[in-house]
Amino acid sequence: MSLLFQSLVLGVLLGGLYALLAAGLTLYFGVMRVVMIAHSAFLILAAYLAWFFTTQTGIDPLVSLLGTVPLFFLLGVGIQRVLIKRLRPATLTMMSVLLTFAIALVIEGMLGFVFTGTQRRIQLSYGGANLEVFGANIAVVKLIAFGLAALSLLGLYLLLTRTKFGQALRATIQHPEAAQLVGINTERVAGYGFGIGLATAAIGGTALSLDSTIYPSLHWHWIGPLMAIIVVGGLGSIPGAAIAAMVLGIGQSLLQIPFSTTWAQTIFYVALFATLMVRPQGFFGGRLAQRF
Amino acid sequence: MAKLVGVALLAAAVLSFPTVAANPFILSVGVVIMSYALLATGWNFVGGFTGYISLGHAAYSGLGGYATGLLVIHTGINPWGALVAGAVIVAIVAVPIGIASLRVRGASFVIVSIAFVLILMLAFQSWSSVTGGSNGLRIPRPFADDVLRPEQHERFFYLHAAALAAALLAWWLIDRSRFGIGLKAIREDEDKAQALGVPTFNYKLAAFVMSAFVTAIGGGLYALWFGFLDPIFQFSILVGAYMVLMSLLGGIRSLFGPLLGAVIVGYAVEFFKSEYGDSQFHLVAMGLLLGVVVLFMPEGIIPAVQSLVRRFRPQSSSIREVSQAELAEQRREEQVTEGASR
Repeated sequence: MSLLFQSLVLGVLLGGLYALLAAGLTLYFGVMRVVMIAHSAFLILAAYLAWFFTTQTGIDPLVSLLGTVPLFFLLGVGIQRVLIKRLRPATLTMMSVLLTFAIALVIEGMLGFVFTGTQRRIQLSYGGANLEVFGANIAVVKLIAFGLAALSLLGLYLLLTRTKFGQALRATIQHPEAAQLVGINTERVAGYGFGIGLATAAIGGTALSLDSTIYPSLHWHWIGPLMAIIVVGGLGSIPGAAIAAMVLGIGQSLLQIPFSTTWAQTIFYVALFATLMVRPQGFFGGRLAQRF
Repeated sequence: MAKLVGVALLAAAVLSFPTVAANPFILSVGVVIMSYALLATGWNFVGGFTGYISLGHAAYSGLGGYATGLLVIHTGINPWGALVAGAVIVAIVAVPIGIASLRVRGASFVIVSIAFVLILMLAFQSWSSVTGGSNGLRIPRPFADDVLRPEQHERFFYLHAAALAAALLAWWLIDRSRFGIGLKAIREDEDKAQALGVPTFNYKLAAFVMSAFVTAIGGGLYALWFGFLDPIFQFSILVGAYMVLMSLLGGIRSLFGPLLGAVIVGYAVEFFKSEYGDSQFHLVAMGLLLGVVVLFMPEGIIPAVQSLVRRFRPQSSSIREVSQAELAEQRREEQVTEGASR
């Protein structure tokens, strides 16, 4: 019983992190119809930056967020302005997959080149600490990662619903042409949306670096689950992605009890194919989601 | 006529390669490039005709390799029979996968293709009692022991060349058939094609299964040649991405596009691996190359050269294929000039 509860709690924590990362992917797709394969590569990049920062200065990796979040935001705006905008509208979705795949390869290669393929891990004073909640043991680092995810998701939610920019962004997601008609500069909004998406990768990557071993090719391990989440949730739907992330995170955690970790991973893909059979557009996607 | 001469020259160049190759290493690079060319041509059955970009075609080459290898080991049938039987099995497996994944278009299709190759990697690593897991699978050599390594490279070079020629012929025949025209209509505008009465789903599925079959033959030949399979390398998104890169670079609309791309990319991959060894530099190089191709010549080298030639020729009035992207471009230019004249 306590094992079940423990797994459930861990699943919720994991689901929160998945939700944060998938939210970034949903933003890119929503504002630009871009499938960003490189999202998880940026995640690993942020994790490496956090690790490098801590090993060099001895300061807590969370502090590195002060640098990486603005940096990734600017990088995102830059990528949108310099690279994505060049793609032809007719083939944008397809070609963006390949272009961001190329970015992912470059990041992986550069990480291997600069930091070598050795596995890295941050040594934290509170790395081994545990909290006991109703009989479940929870590592403090996992809790911090979840806290970061929850805070940034809340921030994202407030930004999207309470600010003028958020309204413009949502309008662009819903109907780009109509947004242009009411005077929204969709180009600029798309750029900022891309930047915010990448900023979530900075936060997610730092959260990841707290309790996992990192190596350059780790991003392949993440790309599948994240992509599965956004398809199951319905491409472009932020609430859909959040719910799918939670359900799949908990599902993965619970399946680890009877099966091995590797087999538990396949739940994402089983869910993906099952969803396609029942609802090709995902559970929260509009009719159009099937087309992209 | 000029085309026939070109094809004859190409065939002669391919056939004479083993006698020209300086040493067994160069010969083995030649086999690798031919293997890439076969895989890329197999990919182009679905990518080129229907425009569905699959990043996970390594699933079919990997499955083809494992099916061939396991059949050779466990049933003791002739390796060449195992190669064909393995590819048939993969084609049968591709039917339900195609039915599931072809229901979605564009990005979702790409994501599903990536997911499938990742599933297979997990499954083949975990299921070690059958596949050998991460320890790999050793496949007995198809030739007797007195056939030395260079000689084996030479034989496999010709085997790959023969399979490639058959695949190219099949692609060419489809390209000129009614079936091919239907597929290309799907590529340009799937909704309109459906409205015009093209049975789009069946067409897509047929192209998909054929593509899986050819790719599986490529994977099976590689398995027999290399003699060792490891899930990490067989079911790698990188291999799938190479197929896409090669086809795009050469041009997915042309018969020899994937072959040309394979020669360029295959040579580059081998060069960077031997030059920069263990550092991950070859990934950076491949990434930059893919980025440049996508940004500056999404149509590929062959169509780019063709349009350059066409520009200096007198305008012909015959009907030629125009892609939707080209039409959109034309329309935009017309609008711009109209706006300027106003």
